[in-house]
Amino acid sequence: MAKRIAIVEDEDDQRVNYRDAIIKKGYEVAAYANRADALRGFSTALPDLVVLDIILGDEIDAGFEICRELLSRAPKLPIIFLTERLGEIDKISGLRLGAWDYLPKPISLDYLAERIASLLRISDARSTGDSGGVSSTAKRVGELVLDQDALLATWKGTPLDLSGTEFRMLAKLVRVPGHAVSYESLMAATMQSLVTNNTINTHMRNIRKKFEKIDGSFSCIKSEYGFGYRWLVT
Amino acid sequence: MKKPWSLRGPGLGGKLFLLSCGLLIVPWFSFRQLIEMEGFWVQTQAHAQLLNAESISTLLNGRSDLFDDFPVAVEDYDRLYVHPLPDAIRIDGRDTDWTALDDQRRSFGEEHGKLRDGGFRLLLGERGGFLYGLVDANDDKRVYRSTHLLRLDNSDQLRLTFRDAANNEQRITLALTGPDTVTAYHVDSAWRFAEGPPENRVQAALLETAGGLTVEFRLPLEMLGAKRFFGISYVDVDDPHQRNIVSVTRSLPKVDDLGVHLVLLRSHEVLRIIEGLVYAGARILVVDTRKQVRAEAGSYNGRMRPVVALPANTLIDRWLEPVLPYMRAVLDLLPIDYHGHATSSSTAADRAIASSLAGRPASLRRELPGRQEIIMAAYPIITGKNVIGAVVLEQNTDDIEAAQRLALERVMAMSVLSLLLVMLALLAFSMRLAWRIRSLRKETNNAIDSEGRLRTSSLRAQMGTRDEIGDLARSVSNMLSKLHQHTRFLENIPRTLRHELNNPLNTLSTSLHNLEQEHPAVANSRYLQSARRGMLRIGGIVQHLADAASLEESLREEERERLDLSALVRSYVSNCSLAHPKCQFVLRGATQPAFALVADYRIEQMLDKIIDNAVDFHRPGTPIRIHLNVLRDTIELRIENSGPVLPPELLANLFDSMISQRGPGSDGVHFGLGLFVVRVIAEHHGGSVTATNLAAGEGVAITVRLPRTDVATTRSRLRGLVTTPTSGTR
Repeated sequence: MAKRIAIVEDEDDQRVNYRDAIIKKGYEVAAYANRADALRGFSTALPDLVVLDIILGDEIDAGFEICRELLSRAPKLPIIFLTERLGEIDKISGLRLGAWDYLPKPISLDYLAERIASLLRISDARSTGDSGGVSSTAKRVGELVLDQDALLATWKGTPLDLSGTEFRMLAKLVRVPGHAVSYESLMAATMQSLVTNNTINTHMRNIRKKFEKIDGSFSCIKSEYGFGYRWLVT
Repeated sequence: MKKPWSLRGPGLGGKLFLLSCGLLIVPWFSFRQLIEMEGFWVQTQAHAQLLNAESISTLLNGRSDLFDDFPVAVEDYDRLYVHPLPDAIRIDGRDTDWTALDDQRRSFGEEHGKLRDGGFRLLLGERGGFLYGLVDANDDKRVYRSTHLLRLDNSDQLRLTFRDAANNEQRITLALTGPDTVTAYHVDSAWRFAEGPPENRVQAALLETAGGLTVEFRLPLEMLGAKRFFGISYVDVDDPHQRNIVSVTRSLPKVDDLGVHLVLLRSHEVLRIIEGLVYAGARILVVDTRKQVRAEAGSYNGRMRPVVALPANTLIDRWLEPVLPYMRAVLDLLPIDYHGHATSSSTAADRAIASSLAGRPASLRRELPGRQEIIMAAYPIITGKNVIGAVVLEQNTDDIEAAQRLALERVMAMSVLSLLLVMLALLAFSMRLAWRIRSLRKETNNAIDSEGRLRTSSLRAQMGTRDEIGDLARSVSNMLSKLHQHTRFLENIPRTLRHELNNPLNTLSTSLHNLEQEHPAVANSRYLQSARRGMLRIGGIVQHLADAASLEESLREEERERLDLSALVRSYVSNCSLAHPKCQFVLRGATQPAFALVADYRIEQMLDKIIDNAVDFHRPGTPIRIHLNVLRDTIELRIENSGPVLPPELLANLFDSMISQRGPGSDGVHFGLGLFVVRVIAEHHGGSVTATNLAAGEGVAITVRLPRTDVATTRSRLRGLVTTPTSGTR
């Protein structure tokens, strides 16, 4: 049975384009143009994944409103936000979502499809393998354990609340521990079309903060000024 | 552009103070006005005096009998005038008590304008029922009376001739017995021998002078008869042995057996009339047609009349009370002439009297010796159509002067006080004004920070006041708020632009994707590729603009840490060859730790921009040189590249946004934002950045100066900066 994807996007062209592309990937799509329509649609049946534009018409935070509404009904519903503002990532983090990711506009439909697939997989993985054990595909780098399938990272046994993008960047960083990873490689890992060094730095800072929240003495991510980052092997 | 020095005028307060000094003219005007007023007062008093004189004269009008009290026809006789003596006379031979009458002396025995030997000068006066005489004789050889000789006519002597009450002829010789002894004798008709004992009623004194002698004498007026015939002669004897009479000088030039004069005295009747009219500070004279004083009463030297007190019970007067003594002292120092209009000439007085005797009343202001001033009014006394005399009323102006002075003191004190008050008020006002303007200036200055950014959208100072400064404050505030709106609008443009552009870009990108999916044949189309490239480029532009616009905002939100810039730069330069494999980088300095409080990846971003710039402009094959010098308070980072130099006019504003020296043909996204970002980051860290052309003229150096931070201040979060980087993987 095809997974049901809900798309909330106020601009007709973009909505149609998303819908067409996602239908082509074999999903069932419900597209909504505004918050009222979307909530009405969700009241009958919840989709398996939601793609949310944050600004809907005149409502600047409509995406967040919908998100909050959905979370109250299905806390583990995977959501992909479409946003052009990096600053909003923090806002999204503040919502403490179980599984979420974001894509800045202009988006690549290929990346969108990948993320949808990836989030659905994680959702499945998390709902089935809820036993808490680390799956066989997990990669261990010192105290860090990365479960690629579940998109789940733990540091010293404590799960890190990373977004999909952050998880992919961290995975890229620790691929060969101790080796410097260039900005270009990290950019590629974000699976976004327009990324600058600053974007990478912002992400890295956020990742570092998330580690430090668990472990105050965390110092494994090191800046390679003028080149990129390095995961220090302790 | 600041001048090395500039001449600054006085401040607002100083200017107002200088202007208020112009108020000093007010006391001067008051003074001038008082002087003018004085003229008016004097005129008024002169008028009043004339009226007084007129009223006195009416008492005497028609009383020709008072003036014609002589038993003989006055015109037939030569006259000797007996002057009223103002002061008591001491019979001592000295003329010091006669000074008031000095100019009334009459000379006898004059030859060629000079007194001959034996000639004398005479003054006659009357006081208290006595006739006084002063004889100043010119005698080259004094021969006194010898007590061995009985005859009286063989020495220097004075002879008095008069008719007594019984109309008998009387002869009295004043025998000069010695330098201080004079004895009066009645003598026989030949003036030889004394008849009877010395006449004690006649007192006399003698004083030798350089040119002769002075005899002062007096006799009771009652000795003279009603006709008042009186004569005086000086008998000169020069040879003490022969004792012959050399000359007899008579008061009467024509030879007459008696040689008498008519002695004119004052009229007691008139005196009685005017005595009752005298008032303080005034003198009344009655003169006859021969300008002879017939009666005199009062004295202008008398006690000054009480000054008409100006009302002094107002609040201002009580305020002035303590100041007046000082004012008086100041006025005493000033050479003020209170007698502006007075004449000191006595002939003018004569003319005034003559005028009144001619029937025309006259008044005159006259200054006497000793700073005394009088007003003189003369009014004719008339009988029928004839003028028989004149009333002269003299009054001193002391009270006018005193009143004038008092008024001057008060006016000056008030002027000075009000001047001080006005100046103080002006000073306070100007200080307040200056303070208000300063506070406005301060807040206006603070409204914009050192980098020209608006800090506030409105002012608070002076906004509530309703005057021009308030208007200024409001208009500046209004300006600021408009500027603020405009700045906000400008700042938001890139972000709005990104938001607005991203949606159509997204449509474009997704549409291109779907097109490719739907028509796989076009997937490899050159047009599709170029469309994608163009789209990415637009996205890049928008991204860069938005990043640069929000740079300052995001810098503010970043936390800084204390880092060793030497380690950072060493690490950075070693990585440069990885990022720019075609270039050679040389690092100098950076051997000792250089700690600074920075956001590390902003410094990295800054280095990226400078290095990018250097790489773009360096001449292929030449190295890019990086120097890190640790100075006392600053860390100096200098990046040099060989290559084309910058035009001098570009050096100053190279770091402004949208300034680029790249040609239009260069690839990549360039808006001149790179070096702008460098400046913003350097300045955000409290540093600066400058661009210079190399001395050799074959390259450019960009120098960033950042403040050093003391080593022992903040916790170290070096995160392994000490390790040297190894080659990285892609």
